[in-house]
Amino acid sequence: MLWTWAALTVIGVIIGLYAPAWIMPKSMSNNMHLTILTMVVFTVAAAPVAAGVYATALFALTRWTHKGNDVPSAGPAVRENAMVVTTWLVVSTLLTVFLLIWGLGALAVDNGSTGKNPLVVDVTGQQWVWSFSYPGTHVSSPDLYLPLNREVEFRVTALDVTHGFWIANMGVQVDANVGTITTIHTTPDKLGTFDIRCTQFCGLNHAFMVTEGHVLTAQQFTSWLASQPQRA
Amino acid sequence: MNRSKSLGVALASVLLGGGALALAGFALASATPHQAALNCVPSQSAPNTCNLNLSTFPDSMAGEQGKDGGVHPDWVSYSNDNLVVPANTTVNVTIDQYDSGGSLNNAFFDQVMGTVGGTATIDGKTVSSVDPTNVGHTFTLRGIPGSGKTMFVSVPLPADSNTQSVNIGQGQYTKPVVVQFSFKTGAKGVYEWNCEFPCGSTREGQFGEAMSAYGYMSGTLTVN
Repeated sequence: MLWTWAALTVIGVIIGLYAPAWIMPKSMSNNMHLTILTMVVFTVAAAPVAAGVYATALFALTRWTHKGNDVPSAGPAVRENAMVVTTWLVVSTLLTVFLLIWGLGALAVDNGSTGKNPLVVDVTGQQWVWSFSYPGTHVSSPDLYLPLNREVEFRVTALDVTHGFWIANMGVQVDANVGTITTIHTTPDKLGTFDIRCTQFCGLNHAFMVTEGHVLTAQQFTSWLASQPQRA
Repeated sequence: MNRSKSLGVALASVLLGGGALALAGFALASATPHQAALNCVPSQSAPNTCNLNLSTFPDSMAGEQGKDGGVHPDWVSYSNDNLVVPANTTVNVTIDQYDSGGSLNNAFFDQVMGTVGGTATIDGKTVSSVDPTNVGHTFTLRGIPGSGKTMFVSVPLPADSNTQSVNIGQGQYTKPVVVQFSFKTGAKGVYEWNCEFPCGSTREGQFGEAMSAYGYMSGTLTVN
């Protein structure tokens, strides 16, 4: 059983190390790097625990069988084995505390701002289109344009029903609520395009509430901003 | 019942259940109401150009909803929801806007976006935006997610404040505001359009009813 547990742990660790980056959307921001890293760490940390469950199940199914109609005698109770109980308590506590500290730290980093001249973007959700405006510039757009390597502060709201502002590639997801502005920060660090989706079922065309976003170089972003019609 | 027979029964149940679900889904999808296609009419005067005429009404008495306005004769409506246009063509759209209006809840949609020249004409006057406090509807068109086809066209349709009466179908309206614009189609595919102004008179009307049912204030544009 020990070897089965060890083998399953190795498989779990390998899956934990490689699967998140393979399965999850391509990372385009610091938040998404952290999200993927958190998935890796949590999966690796969970691997020995999951392997223990699977190894026990396999052992019970294949080796710990009983043939015949007589009732087998019970083995020694685990609760009386001091080593098992102590190991169980210590490992569980350490794992839980580690995951709690990591989770709180990641959450703080995720919600935090560097305060270094963030670009403010007002995000408005309504059935069934996102619109973006750039305060101080009189520019609004149905698509989102962001400069590379500059922190962005999204100020998210909705005009009709609750929507969900989600940029999977940037690890950004927040509800867009009517009458409330919710802020969330990220720093794009890869050029390219991404999808912005609504994650709250918001009516007939909720499935079509998808908009394209673009990360441009600082120079391209300035040019794009200058080329847009100025609203009064 | 022996083990292999039990397994066979279980497998057959799963397959039958899945089949029943698939059939139900197919039947529902097929039953989605869709009006007759409104084809863009090729222009006689310009190559690779076609003309598409639409109307917006304060009810459903004059559009494609059927006799007496269909199921919801009092619901606000576009004249057609199933628009068909050719690929790689300039589409000249004329919308006769018969409905009243009010203030946009998002002034972003007072702009003309995605049209040829970024403008539209309203009763013959060229504009790039309209008064956001006096809008009846918008015609907002975009690509369907996952199709790889992007297009964004949005044109505000000002509220109709004319007083001269006209009869269209079974409805009586006032002389419309005429909005004209052109946009260019790209690749073949299906695009989605809707009105972005919550145009009903009640909360349910603004965000439910005609705004949340196919065939009234939303539809598809098929490029083929």
